[in-house]
Amino acid sequence: MSTNPPSPSDPASGPQIGADEWVRRSGERNTGPGGVVGFLQRVADRTPHILLLVAFLGFACAIPFLTTNVYVVGVATDTMLYVLLAVGLNVAVGWAGMLDLGYVIFYGFAAYLFAELSSAHYGIHWATWQSVPLVIAATIGLGFLLSLPSLRLSGDYFAIVMLFFLQIFNNFTANGYTWDWFGLGHPHDITGGPTGITNIDPWRLFGHALNPNKPQDYLWIASAGVFVIVILLASVNKSRTGRAWRALREDPLAANLMGMPVKWLGLLAIAVGAGVAGFAGTVNASYYQGVFPDAFTLQLLILIYAMVILGGAGSLGGVIFGAVAINVLLEVLTTPNHARWVFYAAVLLGLLAKVRPWKVLAAVLAGLVGFGLAMHAIAAAISARWVDGPIAVGPTAFSTHGFFATLIRHWVVLPKGTYEVSNYKPGNYAFVIVIAMVLTCTVLKGWKRYVLLVPTIWLGAFVWETDLVNQAATTRYLLVGALLITLMATRPNGLFGQQRVEIV
Amino acid sequence: MSGILAFQLYDWHFFFQQVVAGITVGSLYGLIALGYTMVYGVLKLLNFAHGDVYMIGAYIGLFVLTALGSPANPILPLVPMILLAFAAAMAGCSVLGVVIERFAYRPLRNAPRIAPLISALGVSFFLQQTAVLLFGANPRSYNTFELEQNSAGVGVLFHSTGAGNFSIQYIELVVILSTVVLMAALSLFVWRTRTGKAMRAVSFDREAASMMGIDVDRVISVTFLIGSALAAAAGVMTGLIYQQLNPYMGFGTGLKAFTAAVIGGIGNIGGAVLGGLLIGLIQTFTVAYLSSTFSDLILFSILVLFMLFRPTGIRGAPALQKV
Amino acid sequence: MSEQAADRKPLLELQKVSKSFGGLNVIDDLDIHVNEHEIVSVIGPNGAGKTTLFNLITGVYRPDGGDILLDGQSLIGLRPHKITERGVARTFQTLRLFLNMTVKENVMAAQYVRTKATIVEQSLQLPRARREEREMNAFAEEKLGFFGERLMGYRWNQPAYSLSYANRRRLEIARATATRPRILLLDEPAAGMNPVETHEITELIGKLREEGGFTILLIEHDMHVVEGISDRVVALDHGVKIAEGSFDAVATDPRVVEAYLGASATKTK
Repeated sequence: MSTNPPSPSDPASGPQIGADEWVRRSGERNTGPGGVVGFLQRVADRTPHILLLVAFLGFACAIPFLTTNVYVVGVATDTMLYVLLAVGLNVAVGWAGMLDLGYVIFYGFAAYLFAELSSAHYGIHWATWQSVPLVIAATIGLGFLLSLPSLRLSGDYFAIVMLFFLQIFNNFTANGYTWDWFGLGHPHDITGGPTGITNIDPWRLFGHALNPNKPQDYLWIASAGVFVIVILLASVNKSRTGRAWRALREDPLAANLMGMPVKWLGLLAIAVGAGVAGFAGTVNASYYQGVFPDAFTLQLLILIYAMVILGGAGSLGGVIFGAVAINVLLEVLTTPNHARWVFYAAVLLGLLAKVRPWKVLAAVLAGLVGFGLAMHAIAAAISARWVDGPIAVGPTAFSTHGFFATLIRHWVVLPKGTYEVSNYKPGNYAFVIVIAMVLTCTVLKGWKRYVLLVPTIWLGAFVWETDLVNQAATTRYLLVGALLITLMATRPNGLFGQQRVEIV
Repeated sequence: MSGILAFQLYDWHFFFQQVVAGITVGSLYGLIALGYTMVYGVLKLLNFAHGDVYMIGAYIGLFVLTALGSPANPILPLVPMILLAFAAAMAGCSVLGVVIERFAYRPLRNAPRIAPLISALGVSFFLQQTAVLLFGANPRSYNTFELEQNSAGVGVLFHSTGAGNFSIQYIELVVILSTVVLMAALSLFVWRTRTGKAMRAVSFDREAASMMGIDVDRVISVTFLIGSALAAAAGVMTGLIYQQLNPYMGFGTGLKAFTAAVIGGIGNIGGAVLGGLLIGLIQTFTVAYLSSTFSDLILFSILVLFMLFRPTGIRGAPALQKV
Repeated sequence: MSEQAADRKPLLELQKVSKSFGGLNVIDDLDIHVNEHEIVSVIGPNGAGKTTLFNLITGVYRPDGGDILLDGQSLIGLRPHKITERGVARTFQTLRLFLNMTVKENVMAAQYVRTKATIVEQSLQLPRARREEREMNAFAEEKLGFFGERLMGYRWNQPAYSLSYANRRRLEIARATATRPRILLLDEPAAGMNPVETHEITELIGKLREEGGFTILLIEHDMHVVEGISDRVVALDHGVKIAEGSFDAVATDPRVVEAYLGASATKTK
């Protein structure tokens, strides 16, 4: 096909075969994202989506047969729960464009309610087929209730009110074990307080009880849930309500004037999301066999938002991908050895993708290696203590041997006593300096940027090895925070989201 | 419970103590709220990260005080030491605020409304975890109670003064007076200087302001600088009075402070402080007379009701939308 | 031009409607009526209150005084989507399309108010949902076909932001007609169009009345359009009706001339 549009034969009104056909065929390729992601997206667009869903779920359900490692199966189950949560949040945030900052309330409420109905806490042990639908219905009801403020308040203020509800929920679950208000007489233990509610019943389906110690049982239940929910939601998305949600996201006033009841649609979006979270909550309570107040906080909310945003809010496939990507990444980061692979791989891939042309890339890589070796030599010359430290290979394990260990130890400066807890760790100071250097790199242009990149990456590796790699929890969340910031600045529509045109 | 209530209502000394405590904490909320209200005024952005800037300010103050030997062996007398802590925290946080704006919000000036909000959540998260990384997740203390103790073991800052049933601690006096001074300075700045006028212009119509020759980027940076400095001051004062710091204290306080800004009428400087005082008093009285475990629950329930019935705040004006 | 409308009750009637914003009287004691199948144009200089008039009729603002009746029933206090349900649809002075949705989706979205399938039916793809979806599809194609070939064929699946300006205006009209209204409020449909497009739009508005059976209330600045298509013209200035009648009568009315050109203009006539 030629790269130039044929000249229009007749300047009259209708669509013209030559010019407009060219626009139609090449327009798609120009408006989509480029690179690997664009390629994947186009492949995904051409495959029937139901096939993709079945393939994904089929693979997930097959994991227990592909490995006997209980930890891996557990990670798969956790991931499937996050997939459910991401799909639910996508309804309000991705489709209807509403900022639902109270989403984890529904998750927690469902989990706690299931715990109250099916555990030793009150001594009630409702059958699964009774408690689960009731909890889901109650959560949907709560969704409608908590979204009522949106009838009076605009988006920002409604978001704040949702945060209030979250604070109220957290306060209540953490302290709800001495509740004696509203004339109840003596203090009641409603939520179990800081220690939560434990000994929750496993699900019982068709006479067969699921075994929480065998994660695959819950993996299959969660997968089945994902299958059903995704199909139901996709059908709604194709129909008039889905279109109305999208119109609401585009322009609420115009949608209202075109006959769509925007306030009701907003309530509905949040309530539907709450229903999905409700289902996930019942699975959660039963699988973990306990519910605790600090499991359902703002931290979890931001994590789910990161999954939805990364994948592309509005795209079911995208948010599923985002959930899987982030949860797997965070799991990998808990072990220093694996985390290390991720860090260096990410740095290398980032350089490969962004630094062009090849000569500059080669120069940067060479400079990186040379710089590191040089710094190491200087440090060693000053004092042997400065380079004597081992590298971390496990939560409490360190090593001085092995191929990777030796490589790193001669490139990064690892002082003795690097992993001791201290107020004045060099890693801390270096951390702040690295942040400053990274930000400066984004501002500089041309050769100055590449020159600064070398010490930045080296110092970053220093911080990684001496500080971050050993503190999994903090590192994970640092990365999530950084991810959200960079995503918004570079790709606000996420990896698989629709490229949108916005009127400001 | 109602029995206790009745008894405490007759204890006037206790009552005035709560009033003063409420005004004190309310002043802190007001200082933080000023940052929220100014930024929302110029950018229409809910700066979720502002509460964490306040938290970082408190930690910077702690860092300075500890470096100067407080509380066991301070190498400087009390007043210069505290002033140095203030200066360091306010300077550090000003820079932090400007940097945050420059890298996390400025690229998103023309993005859909949700993008800077998500970015702000990301920054908030990042700051919290940075604090955990640098200072540890366990609570740390200013230990000001031990600074220059008298014979009874009470630090000088906590000595009280007053007459009859009314008493106030020196540190509370410091907080309230500082807030008044800072608020007056800010009002003067906004109403009497050119930059202040530029700020007000930008908050009305950013495009028009830029076409009138106002450097909008610089004005927004100044807004963040001032707001963050005020939050840092509030952070150091929090440390001095309440002593306990933890990396997650920014979010809850920030949320209350933002509500204070909304209650007072978003964009309104006097309103922000007024809102702060109101929330401070409600919170203190709830803790003192109703329930301290569920004080947050009660406070936020009240705030929900307030938002529902008076979303434009006490001194705000509803915005008209052009169709 | 249809004459039988004159002796029937008007389809849309504004009685002594007033609206002020903070002390500024934008609409003052206004009486306007539109009979069924009529095309009425509202003209007036900028700031005369014309778009505010549309906003009042469609429920975006609530009048401070007076009444607005559609087929004898008051519209005051109803939510905008309810008013659309009663049969009022509009276009916007500055376009307000759903830019990231496709052309066909824009028109199908507007049919929400005329369909009934609940969310449960949609999720399970029950017969009523599937049937309504097919019908909406066909109806959208029919409404888009009103404009000839411009919005047909492959254009159905193109995002609305890819359309040219004139096509966007046409799409907005198509979207409004998809709500099955009794009366169409067109806010400056010819704005920004060249003479050829303006001529086309004039014919299109006529076609909307003849073939579509719509009643039309029109705000327009381009006098060629107003002259070419209106049964009746109403002139507003500062929220007050200053003239009403045929185009010729209104165009030569001294008050209208003064409003557009200033007081000295009347003296030179």
